[in-house]
Amino acid sequence: MLDVQALPLPYFLLRARVAGMDPAEPGQFVMVAGANRPEPYLRRAFSVYDQEPASDGSLVISLLGKVIGRGTEALAECVPGERIPVLGPLGTGFHSVADGASTSGRAALVAGGIGSAGLGLLAHALERAGRSFDFFYGGRSAEDLVEAETFRRLSEQTGGRLVRTTEDGSAGERGLITTPLEEGLRAGTGYTTVFTCGPHGLMAAVARIAAAAGIAGEAATETPMGCGYGACLGCAVTLKNGGYALCCRQGPVFRLEEVAW
Amino acid sequence: MVSAGASSLASPDLSTRVGPLRLQNPILTASGTFGYGLEFAERADLHRLGGLVTKGLSLEPLAGNPPVRIAETRGGMLNSIGLQNIGVDRFLSDVLPGLKDLPPKVIVNLFGYAQDEYVRLAERVDPYEGVAAVELNVSCPNVSKGGIEFGHDPDVLSGLVRRVRSATGKPIVVKLSPNVTSPQALGRAAQEGGADILSAVNTFVGMAIDTATKRPVLSTIRGGLSGPAIKPLALRIVFDVAREVDLPVIGIGGIETVDDVMEFLLAGASAVQVGTALFRDPRTAERLVDGLRARLRAEGVPSVDSLIGAAARPG
Repeated sequence: MLDVQALPLPYFLLRARVAGMDPAEPGQFVMVAGANRPEPYLRRAFSVYDQEPASDGSLVISLLGKVIGRGTEALAECVPGERIPVLGPLGTGFHSVADGASTSGRAALVAGGIGSAGLGLLAHALERAGRSFDFFYGGRSAEDLVEAETFRRLSEQTGGRLVRTTEDGSAGERGLITTPLEEGLRAGTGYTTVFTCGPHGLMAAVARIAAAAGIAGEAATETPMGCGYGACLGCAVTLKNGGYALCCRQGPVFRLEEVAW
Repeated sequence: MVSAGASSLASPDLSTRVGPLRLQNPILTASGTFGYGLEFAERADLHRLGGLVTKGLSLEPLAGNPPVRIAETRGGMLNSIGLQNIGVDRFLSDVLPGLKDLPPKVIVNLFGYAQDEYVRLAERVDPYEGVAAVELNVSCPNVSKGGIEFGHDPDVLSGLVRRVRSATGKPIVVKLSPNVTSPQALGRAAQEGGADILSAVNTFVGMAIDTATKRPVLSTIRGGLSGPAIKPLALRIVFDVAREVDLPVIGIGGIETVDDVMEFLLAGASAVQVGTALFRDPRTAERLVDGLRARLRAEGVPSVDSLIGAAARPG
């Protein structure tokens, strides 16, 4: 663990050097826990928000977190130099990036608050691939748009832009982030794909909007996880076909139309 | 005959005999905590396990329970997975070939909704050489009309085991429920039916409530509690069962450290199954093999055998 950068409360950015870890694909995650802590008992799943290879061959990963309970608290309290357990990369990332399919046309990335952590690697990958995207960033309040400047820079480098909304109007337009997304679609912005990560209600709304607009999309979902690697079978996501998929193996990224929102 | 000094330097003998089973070491993975083993070959060194107990298998594949299926608790977790599994036939055709030549003994956990289903499952696996034993799940708390009814009534249990006994020559392990007044009485019933080995214990029935939504966390309301929180409870049951039933016992319940393993051996278990701790770290079981070897060497204990049941003997 290299450092924990305290962002405006309750957010934090944790950077860790992990020996022998393969780079994560956009949407993949790691299971982590605070150092030497018996509690909370289970590790926590974190999207790999950013990563870079270190000169010694290890991988430096960045995890963007929000303190919401005992697990995230333990991580936010890590001190530089502490050794923390990291298992990963885990799960299935964004298919349309991995497949190299539907890589043309503009993309809309829709994040709700800390859901932006799940779209970090994707934004970098799109930027590197030269694919234009707009980043829709919604939160309750200005401090929930904790990485707004990063996503502004990345989206503008692709010729796109950052669109912000907050429920209290403290940053961007007052309201929900789905409103400018729908307006953009009506105005003919030419999005061919929408990617989303955030609260369940947001992702469900994005799925409805994408279906209505006839565009493809994917969501990086989240469920409570026991192990993160497919052993406990605890992280079932209900699919439209009536079956279940494991968030940690078949997910966490699912095509929007697959999931029974 | 080697001197005590020399034996403390020699590599301790970790092998253990559990009834008819000979294991290279006493550390197994518990049913439902490590899938079918093979799919985690890259995350753990399967070769070093003493044994591997599969996820509970039924005649037909099962999709499992709707979410929410797990809830973290202090020192453990509740689960209500609902026996999601690929079905016995797919296990035998797709998974077993990859497992059968590995050193760990493969114990196939079987689950049925009716006695006939247990019998048919036992018949299905009986011809397969790679199956070292069957473990009967008669104590899963998470399926409404499920195995638990077989594991709570001594007469029903001995009858069930007797029928399975006639269907297979494989060693039969009966996994005991802790959710009864006297697990040892059920252990005796299993023995009467012809069981070779008891494993103890399955999860403890519990629940959790979300204070925000004011609703039970799990979709099935009740779930099975596992993890370090249950260790002293499980240890007591293993101690009683090992003393009162004349069958070898495999200890299960919150095992995560070498001390935990030692405690269960001293209580009378001939081997242990590691479960929930694998969720924290898929290498827990092999870590315990190394740790146990180092501990026995440091203490000059020549073999696992010499520990088994030592706490029950007059000091």
